[in-house]
Amino acid sequence: MVDREKLYQAILTGDAKSARALTEEALKESVDPKELLDKTLIPAMDEVGRLFETNEYFVPELLISARAMKSALELIKPLLAEKGAEPAGRVAIGTVKGDLHDIGKNLVAAMLEGGGFEVVDLGVDVSPEAFVTAAKDKGASIIALSALLTTTMPAMKKVVAALEEAGIRERVKVMIGGAPITQRYADEIGADGYSDNASGAVALARSLAAKVPAAA
Amino acid sequence: MRYKLISCEVFHRELCACAAKSPHSVDLEFLPKGLHDFGGRKMLEPIQFAVNRSEGLGYDAILIGYGLCNNGLNGLVARSIPVVLPRAHDCITVFLGSRKRYAEYFEDHPGTYFKTTGWIERSNLSGQQTQLSMETAIQANLSYPALVAKYGEDNARYLLEQLCGPGHYRRLAFIEMGVEPNSSFEEQTRREAEERGWTFEKVAGDIGMLQRLVNGVWSDEEFLVVQPGHKVVARYDDRVIVAEKNDHH
Repeated sequence: MVDREKLYQAILTGDAKSARALTEEALKESVDPKELLDKTLIPAMDEVGRLFETNEYFVPELLISARAMKSALELIKPLLAEKGAEPAGRVAIGTVKGDLHDIGKNLVAAMLEGGGFEVVDLGVDVSPEAFVTAAKDKGASIIALSALLTTTMPAMKKVVAALEEAGIRERVKVMIGGAPITQRYADEIGADGYSDNASGAVALARSLAAKVPAAA
Repeated sequence: MRYKLISCEVFHRELCACAAKSPHSVDLEFLPKGLHDFGGRKMLEPIQFAVNRSEGLGYDAILIGYGLCNNGLNGLVARSIPVVLPRAHDCITVFLGSRKRYAEYFEDHPGTYFKTTGWIERSNLSGQQTQLSMETAIQANLSYPALVAKYGEDNARYLLEQLCGPGHYRRLAFIEMGVEPNSSFEEQTRREAEERGWTFEKVAGDIGMLQRLVNGVWSDEEFLVVQPGHKVVARYDDRVIVAEKNDHH
């Protein structure tokens, strides 16, 4: 029997090699992938988030834990897809038009994946239309927007407008973040939520996912 | 008129040249360029301190050589004399001479990293580019050996790549401001572009906005004059910044 505690610790300490090896071993022993995800991996990432919130972990720890999580997820995801298991939610994420800074976006994407979300990473310099397409064609119910520059912040407003224009604003939630972003700005442009850090973004996405209207 | 100018050192050569030509008496104070990496409150504090210290010394106005700079100027308070700031997101707007010109260049060439004499000789990273400084990104001043000791070699390499990678910049533009002593700054930028395999471009700068700042020619389109008892508030529209009554005093 694979030692679940060891796997949990491998995620917590950012030991990607061990995380992958232990996951592989567990799957060989026919552990249910969904159960492994829900009972060991996601709780480990939740603990990483908690340590970050209490200032015991910082960005480097988040990054290496998310990396370890990713190495385990790579093995689990195809199996989950085969079984048709539903993710916690589907998030389309990207930096807005004109903005090419993606450290924050990558970190949030990794943390969301670690939190059980299916993440459609649209990359950098993403047009409002591409976010609309992701919501329409890829079934994203949450749109996550990132901007590092005050220059590119207005592009967030354009995404909200584009979703309205496409007639799908009601069925998607928009969350925003990035160094210059504030809750006040989120309210101003009619976004559904704001987080000032990657761990908070997971909690925010969970609360937004719970509010997404059921697909028609 | 007597003005006190408080500026980021990135404008050092330009503002020295402008102040020398100003019809007014302008006292100059330059703050470290590294403040930019902090942004927000941590950037504002030393600037506000410099503004406060300049009050009561007989100046007619305090001029600010900063843009909004990652919200670093958001909340700056004018206490007893007017404070004047360019309406600009960052220094590149000021180097290019107008918001319109910056917006057009930015639209046509996203992924451009800009260099000027100040960006080169005032850099504390010896010309290295980072998306954010390592210090800001990881909230700790850790060197690579320290990262290895803490997280192991594999993770240290990963962290360096994630936090200090070249990002998505593909073009290096040298903005020529007319204050360069020789072509060495341009040549250095060109070499750096070659080494990175990026496109190099020389762009003509426009010192006009800085000259008008120190000349006291402040149109509402270009500058915000914050009257005593008011503060700077960021607005994410064409105005960039506006003044609002400061309720704390």
